[in-house]
Amino acid sequence: MTSNTSARKQPAIIRFFASIGAFFMGAVHAFAQGDVWVKLSALLWGVSCLARRQFVKGILLIAEQLLILWAFFGLLWPYLLKFGTLGTVEAEQIYDPVTRRNVWNNYDNSFLILLFSVLAIALAVAAVVLWLRNLRLAREVELRAKEGKHINSFREDLRDCLGVKFHRTLLALPTAGVLLFTVIPLLVMILIAFTNYDRNHLVPSRLFTWVGWQNVSSLVNLTASSSFAYAFRNVLVWTLVWAVLATFTCYIFGILMAMFINHRDTRGKKFWRVCFMVAMAVPQFVSLLLVRNFFADAGIVNTLCKNAGITDWLHSIGAIPTANYIPFLTHPAWARPMIILINIWVGVPYQMLIATGILLNIPTELIEAARIDGANAWQSFRSITMPYILFITGPSLVNSVVSNINNFNVIWLLSRDVYTTSDQLMANANANEVDLLVTWLYRLTQDQSNYKMASVIGILVFIVCAILTLVAFSNMIKGDKEESFQ
Amino acid sequence: MRNRKHFLWLTAMFMMVCLVMTGCASTDQTQPGVTDDPQATVDTGAVTDAPSGDTVNLRVWVGDNEDVAWINQVIERFKAANPSKTYNIDVGVQNEGDCSKVVLSDPEAAADVFTFADDQFNSLYNAGALMEVVDDPDGIRAANTEDSVAAATGQDGKLYAYPATADNGYFMFYNTEYFTADDVQTMDGMLAKAAEAGKYVAYPMSNGWYFYSFFKGAGLDMHVMDDGVTNTCNWNATDTEITGVEVMQALLDIAANPGFREADSDPFVAGVKDGSIIAGVSGTWNANVAAEAWGDSYAATKLPTFTVAGRQVQMASFSGFKLVGVNKYSDNVGDAMDFAAFMTNYESQVSRFEMRRQGPSNVEALASDVVQAEPAIAAVVSQTEFADVQRVGSKYWDPAAALGKIIVNGNPDNQDLQTLLDNAVAGITAPADQ
Repeated sequence: MTSNTSARKQPAIIRFFASIGAFFMGAVHAFAQGDVWVKLSALLWGVSCLARRQFVKGILLIAEQLLILWAFFGLLWPYLLKFGTLGTVEAEQIYDPVTRRNVWNNYDNSFLILLFSVLAIALAVAAVVLWLRNLRLAREVELRAKEGKHINSFREDLRDCLGVKFHRTLLALPTAGVLLFTVIPLLVMILIAFTNYDRNHLVPSRLFTWVGWQNVSSLVNLTASSSFAYAFRNVLVWTLVWAVLATFTCYIFGILMAMFINHRDTRGKKFWRVCFMVAMAVPQFVSLLLVRNFFADAGIVNTLCKNAGITDWLHSIGAIPTANYIPFLTHPAWARPMIILINIWVGVPYQMLIATGILLNIPTELIEAARIDGANAWQSFRSITMPYILFITGPSLVNSVVSNINNFNVIWLLSRDVYTTSDQLMANANANEVDLLVTWLYRLTQDQSNYKMASVIGILVFIVCAILTLVAFSNMIKGDKEESFQ
Repeated sequence: MRNRKHFLWLTAMFMMVCLVMTGCASTDQTQPGVTDDPQATVDTGAVTDAPSGDTVNLRVWVGDNEDVAWINQVIERFKAANPSKTYNIDVGVQNEGDCSKVVLSDPEAAADVFTFADDQFNSLYNAGALMEVVDDPDGIRAANTEDSVAAATGQDGKLYAYPATADNGYFMFYNTEYFTADDVQTMDGMLAKAAEAGKYVAYPMSNGWYFYSFFKGAGLDMHVMDDGVTNTCNWNATDTEITGVEVMQALLDIAANPGFREADSDPFVAGVKDGSIIAGVSGTWNANVAAEAWGDSYAATKLPTFTVAGRQVQMASFSGFKLVGVNKYSDNVGDAMDFAAFMTNYESQVSRFEMRRQGPSNVEALASDVVQAEPAIAAVVSQTEFADVQRVGSKYWDPAAALGKIIVNGNPDNQDLQTLLDNAVAGITAPADQ
């Protein structure tokens, strides 16, 4: 155990804000201490570079500034002005019988207003950062000039991009992609939770507007006209139960399977492994749809059960409502366990392969030593194999709980067009008993165009997943645990 | 339209700014990525179709791959009938049952002319995606059946779509080996015969579309109100001639009958093929399946009567039509209307029947002997007098399906029937903004 782990640094969040502060102060100092060119750069970026004969760079900085100003005021400003109302002019058209075209008024599109306003705000933040950075640059080049050091030409700057600063060049595209295609849409989606964007307010023909916390409150409070709160509670509970059960059943059975196959008395290890590989090679949705048909009310399993008399017997003990079929995937009491069982079937091969890899990596001397010390199979499993596997797969276990919370495929493919709820309050909120939050969300957007509620649910899914991940990871890889197994 | 160009600009802009922010001391202009947004390029393709000269670009969506041959033939005739203009018509396939979802997700990018099932008329109309029929609406009204025109008429009384087929409703298929024409008059008679034979009569009870039949037949009402989105429903009223509770009791009896089987489209097809289902309610889309399985003993007729509170009541139904809509946001609404009218005129509906066996809504085409000889279409027609045009707000479907499901399960928790109806009605009539 080394000493530097005990001398803990400040929490990341504080360091984060501290670095922002430092960046800001750096720019302020640069401005205060800089010469007249540096001060002028605050108005027109790149002046300082021009003064130190960095012509191309100076011009590019000025062009960048003009581009940002033009985009912000020329393109985005009209949208940003309407951000408060999300638009007031509804679309209207008049058919012109002469040209045989529709003549439209200059209508507002609430969604574009929202999107471009978010872009405008993002651009404004970016512009401030760039402006501060420009001040620091201006001061830097001034200092170099004063100290008589070499000032990079544009060509040298470019070479730097492919040389010492190559990591930045490489990161530029991914970062841009994440910002543009993840962060901005995410912000827009979060904002939709506070609007009334639903099937009665579909753009472009209708407008939607801000409604504050109304959607959140209808997801939390049960009212006479809305059972969203009831549905949400039930769906959330089932989502968590499902995530935990689905993860641990697959995990345990996968490890057991791997151990059985790896056992020294098992013959044809490779053959068994290949068998499971084949199961993995079939696309998941194909197997799920097939299984759905097997277990359908008129499916092959039901025919077999009916012929074997199982259906009648189950009916006679009152386990199923009709004597015609077993509602494997159509009755909540049957469908939930069935879905978990089917998930074991599709999920175990994968877990088994992972566990096999780990088992093959357990230091054999540990097991050998245990055996020499007289440990039986169970003892060495409990004290060596299991801790080892848990240690290696712990983080991925958390990961699979989170991904099972969002396991759209299994639930959707097994219940779509098949499962009808008999819970009236659930039905009134367009949910059903086997829905996960994500499948419910999908149905709300795709079938009901209820984007506002879907957005609220999406935010809550994110919060649930974030909390789980944070708690689990901070407990599992906290402090010195990384070295504890050895 | 201008918005899209803005979007392109902004995308490019934003990427450049990001490059600068993350990076090198200078804006590195050799970086790719400024225009690698596929969405943006697709969009420009879609909006730069302003017609040049006399070439008119139209995009048309039909419902099925098998419709393509038919529509291509219609397009050829349309071009021949309008030699003064050059048409460039693109055909796409978009399932009629899902059409509104796709159109509503972005009306500005949807096809100029699209085919949809009439159950989606309301959402398309409410979302303002449909162009009013301004060219000769009275001609369209006169040429097509009254119901099909009603299905294409908005709350404001104006025509917003072109009726294309009138065969999308449901009716009773049966196998004459087991049933006589008399047997199929009553649900009781059918169930008794089926139970006797150890077979089933299929009905999709836990599907709101079919579930409506019983309540409407018993004189109870459910439809969308004038605002076009909120439903009104008196299924739970206690002062009607036949009360909802009595209907529920009748349905529980039907569901408990050993000859009854709950079966929507897939199980219906499976049951018909394996011989366990000898009669069932479905639509023309399953006519081929039943005809192939039952051969000469294949028959179809109107829905039967069912027993409620001691009397026989004729089951009602929703009629169903396929409609052709013109996108209000189309750049060429005039030409789109021309084409929509052409693809739903007498000749096109006749050729549609000949090539696709789809029943026409055109009065003249429907009256022809060939069409009338088709059992499924004859059954649709005989059900017509008991069928309502579907005017239903979106809040109806899930609560109705849940109520049907409870009945199919035999009300396992023995809940009070009036309470069940009250809950369902609360969901069906919930404000549409929830």
